[in-house]
Amino acid sequence: MSADTVAPLSRAAILELVRDQLAEILEKTPGDIAEDVPFVDLGADSLALIELVEALEESLSTYAAGFHIDDEDLEGLTSVRDAVDYVAVKLQVA
Amino acid sequence: MGGDFAPGEIIAGARRAVDELGLNVILVGVLELMGDPLGLEVVACSEVIAMDDDPGTSVRKKKDSSLVRAAELVRDGRASAMVSAGNTGATMASALLRMGRLPGVIRPCIATPIPRPNATPMMLVDAGANAECKPEMLVQFAQMASTYVRAHYGVDVPKVGLLSIGEEPTKGTPLVKETHRLLAAMSTLNFVGNVEGRDLVPSPVDVIVTDGFTGNVALKTLEGALKFVFATLLGAIATNETTRAAGDVLLEYVLPVAAELSAENQGGALLLGVDGICVISHGASNATAIMNALRVADEIDRGGVTEKLRTTIRPDEAA
Repeated sequence: MSADTVAPLSRAAILELVRDQLAEILEKTPGDIAEDVPFVDLGADSLALIELVEALEESLSTYAAGFHIDDEDLEGLTSVRDAVDYVAVKLQVA
Repeated sequence: MGGDFAPGEIIAGARRAVDELGLNVILVGVLELMGDPLGLEVVACSEVIAMDDDPGTSVRKKKDSSLVRAAELVRDGRASAMVSAGNTGATMASALLRMGRLPGVIRPCIATPIPRPNATPMMLVDAGANAECKPEMLVQFAQMASTYVRAHYGVDVPKVGLLSIGEEPTKGTPLVKETHRLLAAMSTLNFVGNVEGRDLVPSPVDVIVTDGFTGNVALKTLEGALKFVFATLLGAIATNETTRAAGDVLLEYVLPVAAELSAENQGGALLLGVDGICVISHGASNATAIMNALRVADEIDRGGVTEKLRTTIRPDEAA
């Protein structure tokens, strides 16, 4: 593997990333971020979700240049699981 | 470059800040809409966030808007502060998403100074950034506003009151009651208990904390009431020759007090909790209000307020 090659992401790694970033935004610990609990029940309002989207786009650009979450897709992302599944499909993670 | 009287009053206020205060001001806006920049430096952009645009999505979609570009100037160190009279929610979202939050801050809040005769202003937080709040957020608002009042106005131990419908700790919504419990347990805050709407002016405390919905309603109610009272007073003075003669004497003393208490002389509200300086000016700001908002932004920068706020939030204290 060359020095600038980035290891592919697993679904578990995406989950960890989403959890960590949402936890930071909500001032919680990652362990408090359950995968199936709706964002709204975790205390994330629309602005927090946009913070999450922008943070994910920045982090995931390392794996896929210009990684972008379409605004039209945001309504369908209601939980951490939704977000992880969405990213996994976009990055073609098995 | 937003606001009810943009761009004319905004540019005029910026020019006055340069001429009268010696500040270095950069205008950020769409060149075709701006008109004559009066010789000021301009950073051109191509998009406008309207007053009725959704705050979060507009900042995401309109990346070349004046609000987003202004926040980026602060983030990138090209400006010390941003001042806006535009869409308040989008201003907060721009600052939050581009500058980021200070460590430990759950959500930024708007600190609006409410003037007090012959005293430092009372700081109302949150004046409209967060319609829905948790008790922990209100505790942080109180912490940040206390730091701001101490750093900017020199009040050593600011008195903090919690806006409610009675002085007793048992009065108010579940949010207010839980916030009261948390604030009362904090050793680093001078929490004096609940205050009521009548304590907004003149306030017996230095900071009044509430959620953004209540705070904004209180602020606008106060503004409307003061305008009504003043208009009624002027109407009474104009009644007949005798009252007009009395008015000639009275107004010489009343008008300076009214000017001192007017919003345009307060210099705008500071967005507390973002990693940079963002001053939100009234949507109806005239040139004087913009000049004073720029003055306050400069004072906050020179006073190192953001650095003092950086170490304000200690999450373990709110438990």
